[in-house]
Amino acid sequence: MIEVEGLRKTFPARRRGGQQVEAVRDLTFRVGPGERFACIGPNGAGKSTAIKMLTGILHPTAGTARVLALVPWQRRRDLALRIGTLFGQRSQLWSELTPRQGYDLLGAVYGLAPRAVRDRVGELAELLGAAGELDAPVRTLSLGQRMRAELAASLLHEPEVLFLDEPTIGLDLLAKQRFRELLVRVNAERGTTVFLTSHDVADIEHVARRVVVVNHGTLIHDADVAVLRRTLLATKRVEVRFERPPGALDLPGVQAAWRSPTELDLVVDTAARPIRAVLDELLDRGEVADISVVDPPLEQVIAAIYRMPVGP
Amino acid sequence: MNRRWAAVAVGAAARRTAADRGALLMTAVFHLLVVSALGSLWRAAAGGETLGGYDADALFWYIVASEAATVPVAMRLIERIGDDIADGSIEVELVRPVGVLALRLAAELGATLPRLAVCGVTGAALGLLVTGTAPPAGAVALAAPALVLAVACNIAAQHAFASLAFVVRDARSAWFLYQKLVFVLGGMLVPLELLPPWLAAAARSLPFAAMSYAPARLLSGEGEPWLAAVQVAWLVVLTGLAALGFAVGERRLQRVGA
Repeated sequence: MIEVEGLRKTFPARRRGGQQVEAVRDLTFRVGPGERFACIGPNGAGKSTAIKMLTGILHPTAGTARVLALVPWQRRRDLALRIGTLFGQRSQLWSELTPRQGYDLLGAVYGLAPRAVRDRVGELAELLGAAGELDAPVRTLSLGQRMRAELAASLLHEPEVLFLDEPTIGLDLLAKQRFRELLVRVNAERGTTVFLTSHDVADIEHVARRVVVVNHGTLIHDADVAVLRRTLLATKRVEVRFERPPGALDLPGVQAAWRSPTELDLVVDTAARPIRAVLDELLDRGEVADISVVDPPLEQVIAAIYRMPVGP
Repeated sequence: MNRRWAAVAVGAAARRTAADRGALLMTAVFHLLVVSALGSLWRAAAGGETLGGYDADALFWYIVASEAATVPVAMRLIERIGDDIADGSIEVELVRPVGVLALRLAAELGATLPRLAVCGVTGAALGLLVTGTAPPAGAVALAAPALVLAVACNIAAQHAFASLAFVVRDARSAWFLYQKLVFVLGGMLVPLELLPPWLAAAARSLPFAAMSYAPARLLSGEGEPWLAAVQVAWLVVLTGLAALGFAVGERRLQRVGA
């Protein structure tokens, strides 16, 4: 479905005397039909450049890639008929039009009959829970609503592969969670291959089955998310604030550091102690004013990957 | 692939513009103010005589059409397209099965047509009120399609100019220069017959005359239907230049990124 071999992209210097930027270096991987695949890495790692080459927006400096047996930068428009794209920081809908008007136009662009567009929009609105926001101009939608509308736009022509570049960027926690569930649903119900880039560890944990980690343009890790979850994502950080100092806490195997008599930071190895057990203990021992559970920062995950032994 | 998308794009953009009644009203008011001021000025300048072959009424109708051809076209279009190119927004449009330029031209033409219709109606009403006589039916029949061709030429030319942003990154200076060229060499403010002969000859041979002078000359009663043919020729050339600019620019974008 997606085959990438030695893909490389070097951007020329912007100014005379400036330096070339090697955004992607020798990327090689394959993605099978129906996979939920994530490419993660910090900002500037080369993820967006990779996705732009796979959708035909950019030409590589070297290497080859095939998406649905087409070379993207040679057959961009043919490929566009068979893939969907969603760029988190760019809108493919027209801000002054309503999503429904935008879908009519995109449907015509993709050669769909008006009746087919109407039926498809009805299906997608139901699937994505977006029926209530189809008739307001896109510029008036919240970011979460807009991203749902954008996702529907990218699925309108029933693409075989869906490319998403940082789709949850800027969304609040609830909207992120909903969006991730939608991606999983689309994959499960339509069999659409999902190719996702993100620098948010939670996107990978909740959406992908397989992940490649890219840093400085180079692929440094390729694994099942289940494996990654057991090894590198097993640690969660819990920040809790009590109304008043709590009673003695019984948290074996958890690293705890008090910031003040009422504020506590915990690092939990979920393989050793389930996060739920930790939360239950905290809620039992004191009156909790605020609590948050966060994933380890991506930089920490990548640092851990670098420390992993090389080889099978 | 069929071309239904072009009609859908024109229709969707036209409906969007037509739905914004406030903006349409502002366009109408602006057009009326400009035509009133400039038209009255030229009528006063002509007095009972003729200027460059135009009598006072013909000059007023000239201004009605020259402004109706230019006021509806979106302000700072070059700048807006240039910004989309420079900040990379245009990349999303590359992942569609139709050309970036073609879709943009269709949408922009659609957005312009309702404003053109409003300017046509308000200009006609004001012209009748001021001059007391309508232009000959033949002049109206020639000027109406010439107005559509004029805005189409203008939109195509602005896309051609804006494609410079693929290289220079900042198209603001191009917009400033372009606007002045349409004002003067397009005959928007001054009928070309009133310019020095050498400048008038130069202006007639440039595309800007197709964007304002041609429909204005036709509505003022000069039976020169070949002006519409010149507009068609310029539309082909300008669209070709825009297509070339975008094709080169897109190839560059694909090599060096936004």
